[in-house]
Amino acid sequence: MATSAVTEIKLVSNDNTETMVDRAVAERSMLIKNMLDDMGDGAFEQGIPIPNVNDQVLQKILTWCKHHKDDPPTAADDDSDSRKKTTDIEEWDQKYMQVDQEMLFEIILAANYLDIKPLLDVGCKTVANMIKGKSPEEIRKTFNITNDFTPEEEEQIRRENEWAEDR
Amino acid sequence: MAFGTNSGSASFWRPKSFNDLPDEILQQVLYFVPPRDVLLSTQITTKRLYNLSSQPLLWRHHCRVQFKYWDPEHRILQKFLGGVGDVDWKALYVHRANVDAETTRVFNSIIEGQVNRIQKSKIIADFGYDAKDTLLLHCHADEGAEDYLARRQAPLKICLKYYANSVLDLVHRSKALAEWGKLLKGESIPLERAFGSFDLFVLHDQPGDFLEISDLLDTLVIRLQSEYANFEQLSKRKQAIAVVTFLRAHNITGLASELAYRDLQNNYIGIALQDQNHPSLPLISVAIFCAVAQRLGLDARCCSMPYHAHAMVCPPSNETLDGRLLDGDKAEPMYLDPYRSDIEVPVRNLRLMMGASGISQLDQSQLLNEASSANLIIRTAKNILATVHTFRDPGQNTSNHRPTIQLHGNPFADMDNAFYSALWAHFLFARQAGLDADEQRHFIPLILEKFEHLYPMDATLIEQYICPLFSNPSIAEHWELHETLRVVRAADQTPKQLRLRDTVAAREGIKYKVGQVFRHRRYAYIAVITGWDIECGMGTDWIAHNRVDSLPGGRNQSFYHALVQDTSIRYVAEENIEIWEPEIPKSLMCLAGRFFKRWDRENRVFVSNIRDEYPED
Repeated sequence: MATSAVTEIKLVSNDNTETMVDRAVAERSMLIKNMLDDMGDGAFEQGIPIPNVNDQVLQKILTWCKHHKDDPPTAADDDSDSRKKTTDIEEWDQKYMQVDQEMLFEIILAANYLDIKPLLDVGCKTVANMIKGKSPEEIRKTFNITNDFTPEEEEQIRRENEWAEDR
Repeated sequence: MAFGTNSGSASFWRPKSFNDLPDEILQQVLYFVPPRDVLLSTQITTKRLYNLSSQPLLWRHHCRVQFKYWDPEHRILQKFLGGVGDVDWKALYVHRANVDAETTRVFNSIIEGQVNRIQKSKIIADFGYDAKDTLLLHCHADEGAEDYLARRQAPLKICLKYYANSVLDLVHRSKALAEWGKLLKGESIPLERAFGSFDLFVLHDQPGDFLEISDLLDTLVIRLQSEYANFEQLSKRKQAIAVVTFLRAHNITGLASELAYRDLQNNYIGIALQDQNHPSLPLISVAIFCAVAQRLGLDARCCSMPYHAHAMVCPPSNETLDGRLLDGDKAEPMYLDPYRSDIEVPVRNLRLMMGASGISQLDQSQLLNEASSANLIIRTAKNILATVHTFRDPGQNTSNHRPTIQLHGNPFADMDNAFYSALWAHFLFARQAGLDADEQRHFIPLILEKFEHLYPMDATLIEQYICPLFSNPSIAEHWELHETLRVVRAADQTPKQLRLRDTVAAREGIKYKVGQVFRHRRYAYIAVITGWDIECGMGTDWIAHNRVDSLPGGRNQSFYHALVQDTSIRYVAEENIEIWEPEIPKSLMCLAGRFFKRWDRENRVFVSNIRDEYPED
């Protein structure tokens, strides 16, 4: 097929900014990869619209894709339930995720939309690490969320999953 | 095209806070939060997080990845295969995590003191296979599975290993006896379980339990089916030949050398399936053949043929093994010897063999039928006893090959465990195998002797399986059983008497201390000191029998209790002790955990875990 000849493609973010990017980089996104596979060569000329992501976030996403361009393909989805999930994050990704919460959530949503499973995992792990080891009050404070339980409800939940704390 | 809660493209919706993240994302986040944190904290944060934290899929995932072994009562495989909504996975997870926590708590208290270990072991054994994951974790305490755990456990290394294995052994024995118990009640159990129960007595922390044996057999079946694509089209007779040919081509059955015939390992179906040489006695070869053939739809059974075990394959009703239809008559079964041959064994050969041994025609016909499971169990028990006897007294063995004892642990402990399993098998199935009540009774003192010295935590098993048969208080066994149980339980429940070096005689007279390793000057065995007396504390009979007074130091020297590498506990005069300087034998190292925490390399002593008894040693 002639498609393999195209090595650079154009992405158009939702604020109409255009970015030229290596095809291999863009194909970290399964959404884009599938679109490229489905469409003929002609489709590339006016660019691929990414209607859910603005330019700032798209650039951030592409930074990740560039760094991870040569990663081996991720394992098939079907056994993801049978493996233990760790919150270990490699060093480069940790640095990459040192952003404010708003940007973190945007990266997660964009990774989800663009179907970049490893980046979505890194994002979810980062949030999980912010939850891990914290009391309910500390979690609420971290994410600025309000307790909507009555004290009775709270007590009931504690009771219903009675848990041997001494571990 | 727009995703989720997108509110129009002109002013594109952007997440401002945690609460703006859609459910599906937060659910994925929760997969990465340790379950303990979810239960204790995350779910109590907000109603939304509570609801998301209760998703059955999340807890099914944790149940699947965190626990390997489940007690059969959960029927966990069916649960995993069924609809996710049919099970309260969150409650199941909490239950199971609590069992693990409780197991660790009780186990730690077994380690901490010598009191009430029988009761504590029973608490854990009652959890059944739910306790196995936790016990395995402690068995492998020294392998640094998880660093924080390894660090916390290093000071107790050999002790944890010893007791985790011994409680796990109890769990395994309980399972084995429960399986045999089903047979006694007239239920039928799969052949591989009747035999696999012997494996459970010697298994320790190694793979090869009922489920794993069953999985290995399933794997063989899949391999066979891929090699014999047309298996289904073959006649029953050809299918049976295909199975035996397959097993022998892959060396799954039989023995490499008849010289090794009496090696203990040949008696275990789990070892035969896992060991790369797949060693097995004829009986175990037959069991493997039958288990595989049955999985493929053949009516395969163990035949009663004595001396050399054979398999038989019976035809379906009204049909021959070759698929020819019959009316009325019953077609003949075929016989096979998977141990040494991949061709059918003609029935006249079997009759010739039996005839040569003086078995009558009538009895021959009986013996060409299927053997009962009880019979097969007794046969295996006899094979195990034959090995133990040959090992202890190799003089009787004409081939001059002393059987090797190489199963999963200390060879002496392996032999004890194997011997113990054979005693239980003989006792339980004595009646089915045609022995009378008197013969059955012979096994009681033997079992009790092992129970007292090696398996005190089996008190509950003896009460469950042996006592009810001797409930009449007027018979001698009733008294003997109850007295032994009473003594063992009392010893277990009573705090140890303090042994202090608080007199001049003790300070000056007792040269060695608990934990030192020595070689016996006369008998040359290696042992570790587990206690002492200022002078010989045994009765006059023992003193006379062991000719203590003929020792230069006589009975008025200090004497030591010592744990020997062959699992025995002995009582040794000080003059026979010679401190051992070379490397400590591995066989002693794995037994020492019964009394010691770890080996102190620098001071060359085992660090005592019996300070409740000898606080100054």
